Amino acid sequence: MTTPVITALLDGSTIQEIAEQAWSALVGEEEVLVPLPGELPAATLSSWVGIAGPWTGSVVLTCGTDTAEQLTRALLREHAPEELDAEDVSDALGELANVVGGNVKAVLPGPAALGLPEVGTPPAAGQPADTLRVDALWRGQPLSITVQGALGPPHTPASDIEEENEVPL
Amino acid sequence: MKILVADDSRVMRQIVIRTLRQAGYDDHDIVEAEDGRDAYDKVHAEKPDLVLSDWNMPNMTGIECLEALRSSGSSVPFGFVTSEGSAEMREKAANAGALFLIAKPFNEDSFKDALDGVIA
Repeated sequence: MTTPVITALLDGSTIQEIAEQAWSALVGEEEVLVPLPGELPAATLSSWVGIAGPWTGSVVLTCGTDTAEQLTRALLREHAPEELDAEDVSDALGELANVVGGNVKAVLPGPAALGLPEVGTPPAAGQPADTLRVDALWRGQPLSITVQGALGPPHTPASDIEEENEVPL
Repeated sequence: MKILVADDSRVMRQIVIRTLRQAGYDDHDIVEAEDGRDAYDKVHAEKPDLVLSDWNMPNMTGIECLEALRSSGSSVPFGFVTSEGSAEMREKAANAGALFLIAKPFNEDSFKDALDGVIA
């Protein structure tokens, strides 16, 4: 059975809308995401959550490390320490990916399971047709949200993979 | 009144506590738990009047925590604050005995809608 690729299930404007709601509620009521592309700096940080179900892949948020720190301060507001530690930044960026990912999951076919947020080098993207990327500017700084299918032939049943890998005796 | 806020994200616990205050529930004791297991232990140790819990957490999820609490005889009022607000998740939460589910992202109005009548 073939499951549709992400571009057949979702469009960029839905992702943009989900992200805007997350920004407004978590980052600040007056905070806007301008749907314009910008060039990401050399030093970036990514956070993501996995979705496993009829469609399997990840929702990845990527921004510059400075932007990640500013987002963390915006989320923590008066509780932000003078010196942010890496754990706070990972936590904040992971939670943004979690909120966006949870809402992306809700508009995809189910039943599906949402993973816990992770931060670091995101999983490799699958086919281009199974990848949807939205670029935006927050306070003039670029970030991207990518909804990407898992690497490999899309949605191949596990039993087929086992057969392909089977070594004849 | 004592409210236990369970979320594996410290940042999100701060946001939940801040939103509680913005929604007018600013005169309550807050206890924090960092996963479902910690929440389960703190319900028994701290005897909160309400639990606000994330769903997806390491060690023990929010729904596992709720089920374990009910199995242990605890009837503490329990609500979810989670990024998963689909009809399916709401049904699962209600079936397990949750009073409400607040979907992330939320604002003070979502809190007021869910908590009016629950918090005195």
